[in-house]
Amino acid sequence: MSEADLVLFLEASVRLGVPLALAAMGEAITERSGVINIGLEGSLIAGALGGALAALAFGSAEAGVLGGAAAGVLAALVFAAFAVGLGTDQIITGTAVTLGGLGFTGAVYQARFGATGTALTLPTLAPLPIPGLADIPWLGSALFAQAPTAYLAYLLAPALWYFLFRTEWGLELRAVGENPDAAQAAGVRVRRVRVLATLFGGALAGIAGAHLALAHAGTFAENMSAGRGFIAIAVVALGRWNPPLVLLAALLFGAASALQFLLQAVGVDLPYQLFLAFPYLLTLAALAGWLGRTRAPAALALPWPRRG
Amino acid sequence: MRRQFRQSLSMCVLALVACGGAESDSGGEAEAPFRAALLTAGPVSDAGWYAGAYEGLMLLRDSLGAEVSRQQTRTPAEFDEAFLSYGSSGYDLIFAHGFEYQDAAIRAGERFPATTIVVSGGGRFAANVVPLIFELEEASYLAGMLAAGMSESGTIGMVGGVEIPPVEGTFRAFEAGARAVDPDVDILESFTGTWDDVAAAKEAAGAQLARGADVIIHNVDAASFGVFQAVREAVATGRTAWALGMNRDQNDVAPDVILGSAVIRIPEAFLETALAWQAGELGGRPIYAGASEGVIDFVLNPALASRVPAELVAAIDTARGRIRAGELTVPRVEFVEPEVR
Repeated sequence: MSEADLVLFLEASVRLGVPLALAAMGEAITERSGVINIGLEGSLIAGALGGALAALAFGSAEAGVLGGAAAGVLAALVFAAFAVGLGTDQIITGTAVTLGGLGFTGAVYQARFGATGTALTLPTLAPLPIPGLADIPWLGSALFAQAPTAYLAYLLAPALWYFLFRTEWGLELRAVGENPDAAQAAGVRVRRVRVLATLFGGALAGIAGAHLALAHAGTFAENMSAGRGFIAIAVVALGRWNPPLVLLAALLFGAASALQFLLQAVGVDLPYQLFLAFPYLLTLAALAGWLGRTRAPAALALPWPRRG
Repeated sequence: MRRQFRQSLSMCVLALVACGGAESDSGGEAEAPFRAALLTAGPVSDAGWYAGAYEGLMLLRDSLGAEVSRQQTRTPAEFDEAFLSYGSSGYDLIFAHGFEYQDAAIRAGERFPATTIVVSGGGRFAANVVPLIFELEEASYLAGMLAAGMSESGTIGMVGGVEIPPVEGTFRAFEAGARAVDPDVDILESFTGTWDDVAAAKEAAGAQLARGADVIIHNVDAASFGVFQAVREAVATGRTAWALGMNRDQNDVAPDVILGSAVIRIPEAFLETALAWQAGELGGRPIYAGASEGVIDFVLNPALASRVPAELVAAIDTARGRIRAGELTVPRVEFVEPEVR
């Protein structure tokens, strides 16, 4: 493998890792509040369609990103209304939101663009090389000649870390995820925190979906989120609910995906599924505690208030 | 109790949004002559394999007055459910559009002997389970000739979804056609493992383009949009690169980069199959639909035809004639098993 191959591989790793990173960092915040949003996939696909429609309507990819975020929030709002508002089972509710999101976006797309579908011509979110940084050998173009959504991911990682571990609101959010009863006793409005954390996760997943449509594919296609919402949930666990680690974990998943395409194009005769399985094995190892102590928020997935 | 009720009610509402049930539509007559259903494992908005099947179903409605319905199934568990729902409500013909349905079709065929099930690209058959095998290899061979003839780099690529026999078949024929024009051509092959992931298909095509491939064919259904986009972006950097369409005439999906398409005229094949069923001639053996039946063809994109040298067009036309006359045998991946029962 030549140096040029390696650079291409690194670029592809970041391209494929960014949507995972955005969705997973949002989900990390949601999970820190004690809510596991399995409906993330629904926010992703809603973001992809919302992003495509907004980009078409306003003729700008930036408007598309905002449209994607809004659509992602809408899907998350459905989840939050049931899972936080009514205290329904989070896993079942999330599954319903995912299926609903995939079905609903498909129906809207077919109604708008015809049942047999077509490749749209969307305003694309072009790579925006950062002068100076993009010229660093090896990693420069991979990290700093990407779509603006990638830079959003880089900035969010430390910002969210600071928010979680160095601010009072971050402390309240974590308290809600660890012990909601105690948090309530201390005067924290548990449901409001959980709803806001869920909507924030939905917004980032929506941006991730818009990134897929506008920065990657240049079109919308049904089911194009292709399971990334679920992968993002694995990424959160591998990144130990800590935003900077989540970003790194997402890039690792992106790299595994990029590696299989590179090796296939080079003609390495190995089953392509092997490379895809690798990051999941790592996630299992992380969950089993083999990569150091890991613990999910204690109140994760538990409806609140508890009813007897 | 109250909470349980509220929870199940909310789940029902969500589930309704999720699936929306099957879409039914009759030809308009009071009494339809027969009822036909379509099962797809992906969205019909793929502008390709499933879109063609949807058009086929509409053709049965419009030209034979059939009452039609369709369902998209995602998982093998849903395959059985879908067969059950159509079989038990007395549908006459079920088109299960894909290799993946073959086992569920055999089970459903035993359970509903009055229903005839047609499995596109299937490999197993019974008295009322009929594989409809599209000999797309014939068009893929011609696509391979075009790819090798148009390649300036001597490297061409194939991007597939899942490695299933019908896809294998088209890729082996593509290779044979390419080698017939240029025995030394380098052919890259990648699979993404899914039919939906546009981004993955784009990366797979991008990796091939980076290795020097300049003509890329796909067999990834809806994710093909990613292949076309990758080629477009390579062209935008000043390279010469082309894509080839598959399963349906995709020349107008990306008319700036698609040189031509290996086409299955799925609607016509569905119509012929339904007519054979009406005549009582369907069942107990597979149907082969190929170039000589007019179902399979390779169609150049008229918008780009001027870019293809006349000698290459002539060579492709000659090969097409020889395939139709049975003088040229295209490699095939055989996967039809002996009759069940």
